[in-house]
Amino acid sequence: MSPRHFASVTLVAVVALATGFVLAGQIKAQLLTPSNQLARYQALVRNVQELEATNAESRRQIAALRAQIDALESDAAARSAKTQALRDQVNDLRDHAGLVAMHGPGVEVDLRNGIPGPDTGAQAGYLVNFQDVQDVVNLLFAQGAEGIAVNDRRITPLTAFSGSAGEVVIDQGPPQSSPIKIVAVGDRNRMLAALDDPAALPGVRARQVQFQLHLTFQGSPDVSLPPYDSSLQITHVSPA
Amino acid sequence: MSARPRTTRRRPSAGRGVSVWLIALLVALVATIQIRSEAEVQRNLVGTDVSSLAFLIDDLHRANDSLDAEKADLAGRRAQLQSGQSGAADQVLKGEADRLRAIEGLVPVQGPGVVIEIDASGLTALDLQDALNNLAAGGAEAIDVNDHRVVMGVPVYQARDGVAVDGVTVPPPWTISVIGDPNRLGLVADLMAQQLRADRRVRKATYRVEADVVIRSVISAKPYVYAIPS
Repeated sequence: MSPRHFASVTLVAVVALATGFVLAGQIKAQLLTPSNQLARYQALVRNVQELEATNAESRRQIAALRAQIDALESDAAARSAKTQALRDQVNDLRDHAGLVAMHGPGVEVDLRNGIPGPDTGAQAGYLVNFQDVQDVVNLLFAQGAEGIAVNDRRITPLTAFSGSAGEVVIDQGPPQSSPIKIVAVGDRNRMLAALDDPAALPGVRARQVQFQLHLTFQGSPDVSLPPYDSSLQITHVSPA
Repeated sequence: MSARPRTTRRRPSAGRGVSVWLIALLVALVATIQIRSEAEVQRNLVGTDVSSLAFLIDDLHRANDSLDAEKADLAGRRAQLQSGQSGAADQVLKGEADRLRAIEGLVPVQGPGVVIEIDASGLTALDLQDALNNLAAGGAEAIDVNDHRVVMGVPVYQARDGVAVDGVTVPPPWTISVIGDPNRLGLVADLMAQQLRADRRVRKATYRVEADVVIRSVISAKPYVYAIPS
């Protein structure tokens, strides 16, 4: 190889290398963060993840505090008949408020996202949303459910459902998304008949046809519900 | 002899040509990745809805504040029980019983809130369930519809002669009395009233924020038939 040839090859290699570095810089600086949108989005996602971790830890602490209080009350009740009678009343109230785990015959309902339709921009009808869960829960309560949990989150007298497309927020819990499992204790034959009624859950059934949204259910001789692990604060209500 | 100079001239030119093509290929490749990646990022951002994420953060902040308040309340009760003072357990249990009776709708209650009036024809149980859920999500602590106490678990369903609450038909107009944070409930009620007024079935949808809403209706406690607390 002549010196001239070597020089030209080296020049081309250096130019190629420089081009590679410049383009790599471009990729790092702009491709991953066009107008900083992705960076901002990632910051929001990190924020959500941190808040969810705090949320989970708080709920764990609440469950632990309730267990400690229960043990202390039990000790006190063992020393006084009056305290024992009060504790029995409170335990009954706690059962009905969803603060105690329960089991019994019931049903399990599964809701899963369907398939996006051709016009997915207009509405995310193929996604399970909070209204679907709300409708199933209301239907089960109307048919005699005595306790319900959604993805292991116990429903209480103060429960509210919210969320955006594809996300279901229950009370102070983190958002849930498909698949959603709703478990109810109660008269399973009555609940199964209601779930089987084509006139029930019109919104879900229409989207079963349109988007293949999944709704399946089955009865069981024994299902279990966990206790509620979040806040039951009422700060504005006083006895009338 | 004449072929040799031709060969020596071609070699550098072919090498440069290959290098130029490689660079061109590299540039084209990176440009394609750049364009496709930007499109992908845009598609992802549209799909995940950043504003929903912001609302979610707001909800989680509020939820975590509620959980902190619950923890503080429970820690206070535990301290009271641990104090060993005479009657401490009875006091804690009585306070808990009163609170749970109010939550479960077993006793009359009062407090600040809103009163919503809806006159319409053709509204269904789903409409009422949505309204009640919106109010619950807005921080409602007690709700009454036409003198029927409602909590989650009270059956609200479509009967032959209209919407029924706990087995009793409640024909419109509906008066929904709600106790809770009046500021939050006022915002929810305002939004609901606006949406209802846009509904052809609705003749009237109004609300008023009140300093003292009294709810006298109660729910009868029902013993469990199937459930076994464990």
